[in-house]
Amino acid sequence: MEVEISRRKFLQGTVAMSVVGSAALSTNLLSSSHGSSAKPGAVSFHNTKTGSDKGHDVATLCEMCVNKCAALARVENGVVTKLNPNPMFPKSKNMLCARGNAGIQALYDPDRLKFPMIRIGEKGEGKFKRVTWDEAYSAILNGTDKFPGLSTILEEEEDNRSSMLFCAGEGMAEHTFKQFYQAFGSANWLNHASICLQTVASGYGVTLGSYPQADLENAEYIIMAGANRAEAIVTPDTMDLFKRTKGRGAKMICIDPRFTNTSAKADKWLAIKPGTDLAFVLALTYVTFTEELQNNEYIETHFNSYEEYKNSVLENKYTPEWAEPITGIKAEDIYTIARDFAAAAPKAVYYPGRRSTFAKNDFQLRRAMAIYQALHGAIDTKGGLIFGSKIPLKAHEGLQPLYEKAKARAVVKSTNKEGEAGYDDCAVVSGGGSWIGWRNRFLDGKMPYKVRGMFCYKHNPMMNMPNTQKTAEMLRKMDLVVTIDTMPSDTVMYADVVLPECTYLERTDPIKTFGGVEPSIAVRNKVIDPMFESKPVMDIMKGLTTKISKPLFEISKKFDEEIQDLIDEDGEEEAYAEFDLTLPFLHTQEELNHHAVADYPGAAEKLHHDGVFYPKQDDYYKQLSANEHQYYPENKKSYSVRGGKPVTPSGKVECVIGSFASKGIDPMPVWRDEYEFSVPAGKFKLLTGRHAQFTQTGSANNAMLIDLMPENFIWINKRVAAEKGIKFADMIEVSSSIGSTRLKAYPTEKIAPDQVFFIHGFGEESEALTWAYKNGGNDNAIIEDTMEPVYGAAAMHETNVSIKKV
Amino acid sequence: MALRELVNKIVPIKEDFSIKSLLGFKKTPLNVLVFFMIMGLLLLLVWGLAQFLMHGHHAYNVTREHPWGLLISGYIFFVGTSTGLCIIASLGHVFGIKEFNHIGKRTTLLAIITLLPGFIIILTEIGHPVTMMIYNILTPGITSAIWWMGTLYGLVLTFIILEFGFALRGNHKWAVRLGIGGLIADVAAFTTLGSVFAYLVARPIANGPFIPLYFLLTAVVSGAFFMFMIYGFKHKLNFPEEVKITLVKLAKILGLLLAVTMFFEWWRIITAIYGDMPERADTMMRIIASTSFQLEVLFAMVIPFVIILVSKGTALKALFFSSIAALISIFLMRNDMVHHAQMMPMQMLKKTEYQLAPTWIEYSPSPVEWAIAVGALGVCFLLYYVAEKAFDLDEDDHH
Amino acid sequence: MARYGMALDYKNCINCKACETACKEENGILMGADKHRIWVGTGEIEGQYPLLDLTSNVFHPSQCQHCDNAPCEEVCPTQATYTDENGVVRVNIDQCILCSYCMNACPYDARYVDDRTMTVDKCNFCAETRLARGETTTACQNTCPTKVRIFGDLDDPNSEISEVLRTREHYSLKAHLGTKPKLFYLT
Ligand code: SF4
Ligand code: SF4
Ligand code: SF4
Ligand code: SF4
Repeated sequence: MEVEISRRKFLQGTVAMSVVGSAALSTNLLSSSHGSSAKPGAVSFHNTKTGSDKGHDVATLCEMCVNKCAALARVENGVVTKLNPNPMFPKSKNMLCARGNAGIQALYDPDRLKFPMIRIGEKGEGKFKRVTWDEAYSAILNGTDKFPGLSTILEEEEDNRSSMLFCAGEGMAEHTFKQFYQAFGSANWLNHASICLQTVASGYGVTLGSYPQADLENAEYIIMAGANRAEAIVTPDTMDLFKRTKGRGAKMICIDPRFTNTSAKADKWLAIKPGTDLAFVLALTYVTFTEELQNNEYIETHFNSYEEYKNSVLENKYTPEWAEPITGIKAEDIYTIARDFAAAAPKAVYYPGRRSTFAKNDFQLRRAMAIYQALHGAIDTKGGLIFGSKIPLKAHEGLQPLYEKAKARAVVKSTNKEGEAGYDDCAVVSGGGSWIGWRNRFLDGKMPYKVRGMFCYKHNPMMNMPNTQKTAEMLRKMDLVVTIDTMPSDTVMYADVVLPECTYLERTDPIKTFGGVEPSIAVRNKVIDPMFESKPVMDIMKGLTTKISKPLFEISKKFDEEIQDLIDEDGEEEAYAEFDLTLPFLHTQEELNHHAVADYPGAAEKLHHDGVFYPKQDDYYKQLSANEHQYYPENKKSYSVRGGKPVTPSGKVECVIGSFASKGIDPMPVWRDEYEFSVPAGKFKLLTGRHAQFTQTGSANNAMLIDLMPENFIWINKRVAAEKGIKFADMIEVSSSIGSTRLKAYPTEKIAPDQVFFIHGFGEESEALTWAYKNGGNDNAIIEDTMEPVYGAAAMHETNVSIKKV
Repeated sequence: MALRELVNKIVPIKEDFSIKSLLGFKKTPLNVLVFFMIMGLLLLLVWGLAQFLMHGHHAYNVTREHPWGLLISGYIFFVGTSTGLCIIASLGHVFGIKEFNHIGKRTTLLAIITLLPGFIIILTEIGHPVTMMIYNILTPGITSAIWWMGTLYGLVLTFIILEFGFALRGNHKWAVRLGIGGLIADVAAFTTLGSVFAYLVARPIANGPFIPLYFLLTAVVSGAFFMFMIYGFKHKLNFPEEVKITLVKLAKILGLLLAVTMFFEWWRIITAIYGDMPERADTMMRIIASTSFQLEVLFAMVIPFVIILVSKGTALKALFFSSIAALISIFLMRNDMVHHAQMMPMQMLKKTEYQLAPTWIEYSPSPVEWAIAVGALGVCFLLYYVAEKAFDLDEDDHH
Repeated sequence: MARYGMALDYKNCINCKACETACKEENGILMGADKHRIWVGTGEIEGQYPLLDLTSNVFHPSQCQHCDNAPCEEVCPTQATYTDENGVVRVNIDQCILCSYCMNACPYDARYVDDRTMTVDKCNFCAETRLARGETTTACQNTCPTKVRIFGDLDDPNSEISEVLRTREHYSLKAHLGTKPKLFYLT
């Protein structure tokens, strides 16, 4: 039965849905006949009751967020009717969250990109023409009357392969796309790191040698600071933690400026002033040192420059009393926490967190946290932070040809700092680059050479990084924008060529090994064939490279003297073999996956059937109860794999990193006055964050999730709201120095009077998104593009805003 | 005309009755006004029914938390009035109050014509009336008040139609026997309707013996008001002596019942508030603070009571007007009662991220609900008009 | 033949609403704010920032209580609502006349109208889907990250739920109404 409903009605929550076969999904969206307005008048979506007979299950991995939980997709008559947790996977431990369940709606989203399209309107207008795959590839190579193709660009840029930017969002097939980038020969790669985990991962990386996991299943004391595991789900942490909170094994102290669902589960919630966590950790460290709470034995064998750091902390007098006015946390609480933490160690965790950079000092904060944890010897131990083990996979060969004319990454060496090796927008250039640094440089005309176009895979720069207006400008200025995506996102609206990828349920992705206490290998198997004309990125790459490889080689031949020499030496055919872009894509993903686990007998079959494999799985894996499963016996778990030894090159915890000094970075964590929290009178600090029923813009158009939370509201302190005459659901305009956005008010005591908060990912502007279009407020329209100084990561909580009722 | 014969078999129709005689009313301004009023009401009903047939319950403003609305109240209003009329009709023949003998037939008829619109309404309130007929019999839910209520009302209708037929034929013995049967069934049916609410253990404001008894009392009250209205209208406020005597008597009975009703209300309020029991005291406080409740007490109880008290029941003209106001108030009172029972949410937590915690549940009927509930009055008036022409309603006083 | 019940370790609940989506997807439940068989309730926090009352913020997962003495069943005029052989309170949609009496009688707001069939719907422990296939968990239980629910046969003394109810303290909702819920909240 099919019920067609209007968007408005749906959002009122009055009417509902339909049960439609995939064929019934409307097929004319976004096609040229619809012109600029691709918004359908009516939508239908998929919600089928499962059948009563044994269905056919396919083991796959969820892609509704980054966790990659294992799922069993139930298929009935070619239709995916249910996604169930796959109990076999130690990482996701037999669970699928709300978003994981709603994955079916991503598959059957009526707004999905269905065909290749090329732009016929103005940039950003969203007017496209449906074309065949071949026409799309041709357009990328040769352009149209609206935009130039690769051949023109490379011709004009004299084979500077770096004149194309490649960017990608996180995902299992990111690797496939990255191989294309490597074969293409550009040096400009930007991924989500600088708007995501960069400073956390690197802070722990340089200090402990790796970004560790937390053993929340055994920790007895947990400091959960600036991490919201109840709402920003991370597996297995979320599951391990909340079964043991509230006096049931793990004492949890939650430090967060907002009262989150995690705070609600804490034994104590301490409202900290945003961006001052570093002062809090330093004060804890101070107490540890003055009260001799540290694990001296561990420190002696595993620390570098311990004394130096200790002296710095003591000399700077980072006392709890000093920290109290800075952080807003009472000195006595800091004393208690430091003592309790030490008492529980090594079964104590200062949770490393897993989030975007909020404050400019985030890198130093992570270093201080890592050192604080290590001071107690709670590294590589049960109940502490662990490195775990990993089951190795066999690599397969990629292609990384050298193009003589390809310039190095488009960064600019610093000129205004004294004689050191920094760059003008950040000190260190990481593999993923600094997105906003790169973008702003591009807009300011500070590129060392011309970058003319970009390939954008599963990535939504329009919505995912601060200052949407600047991103739009950048996209408008790019001569050629190729997007590969499943949904007509705001970024896709700026594309010249749109290549529809199939969703994660329609493709097999590169196999992945998951390290940890209970390591395993898991795979995303294709559940159903790709719908419409969409394809997995592997096939897209195969098609695209087949089209462009030879013609681009011809261009290189013209400009690249080394290639010319090579041809002279070996003949054209052999020379081309090194530049044949199709090479990485010759095999099917299934074949590659087979190869990757060839060393483990039976693994490929196991992965195909169960989705998960690890050695001795059959002996170890046991169902303990309806809910609980054993993956490894206790004595086989990888709690401690290195006897506590950090993974740094020196094998020690690095308290002081001398080389940073020359780059203008503090070699060890210290507090600086400019870190202090302040908000001008009448303004509010804007906080942003995640939600358990919403994965940023990626799920903004998911019918089921929108059903759970139709839009985002702005949290305003109740008393402030009352003063301003703001009531629940009043429309509020939030503005900063760079723009404004509108959303409804939620007066609550869960937030401080000088701060406001709303969930990231709402408020898309693409009319092709039935539910997400102009739904709620877009934080990135108002978050200023502030960068943290080390990696140029976007610092998201540095913007002051004003609010007004409209 | 097969229908005519069928009806004639049960209730004798006047010889001179025809469609023509139906249309042959004197075109006085009042009559024309009434004609248009009835037509207007019927159009409203037809529109409402059409909407119901097209959209079903979607045309109503009932929700998960407030599943019963104006249609249930409209139903209670009509069948309650009918019960009241049935009781009044039996005052003469059954209880031997001779002043009421001569109004027996007309009042029985009034009971029928108020019952029918009630049934029309309930059929639009029940989502699947046909299924109801089938499974009421196949799988009777004998612990269900609604099942008993429905079954009893079926009996009531049968009894009073037959009673009316025998009365018109002058077969007093059977008329009285059936009258007694009808009376018992009717009182049982309407108090069972009250018990539909009274059984709701989860809703302290409704749970307990109050509502069935209150229903019984107010049924007679609303029946009496209905009598005043119809008789006032029939005689254009120029009551013949015989009618006057009956109506004054009725007014006195009404006065007594109103006094009892007010005591009822009083003690219900006080016992509900006393002790501050959650879900009962707070609900009652909210009820007495509501304007509709205050108007209902004023117009349906206090004003008519004062008129009766002051005039010793003789101010029939005043009573006529006050009856109209009182009937409107009783209509609202039925609606209030249904609403009050559902006002307190059964689940007090927020279910989605951005919503206010549930407080009192609000309900305001949709246009379609209004159209059906009010439009049904048109059926009532039309039936009365037709019946006046078709049946011999005046009692021959041969006993 | 069993007597199914459910124990909820509700303190585990993080209000992620996986259970709600799983139920909707498994049982083909309508979208829409008041169309649900299962929900997680929360109260608004009490106190003033930053002195908030941590205990005032509960996450309370709930659904039909499968009352042993079910008022909804008692009031149903056509026996559309019935307790099946496994103790599951269910609605036979062919018999339901949409009188809405059960919706009013249920003390837990567990019932709603399915707009497709225009009959009353409610949690049935996945009786038409998972249980019908012989599975032994409900969709909401299976998917839950923190494993709030334990579903099982109360008549089987060896079942996990029986064991849990013997060994852990628990309470029922609105127990004073005598509905005898088969949902148990573990404390
Ligand atoms: S946490 Fe949820 S969305 Fe993320 S991978 Fe797991 S099930 Fe999917
Ligand atoms: S799935 Fe579990 S944790 Fe999530 S809301 Fe439901 S009961 Fe709570
Ligand atoms: S909770 Fe409500 S619907 Fe469920 S059995 Fe009890 S009364 Fe019936
Ligand atoms: S609405 Fe249906 S299930 Fe509920 S009481 Fe009426 S007939 Fe029974």
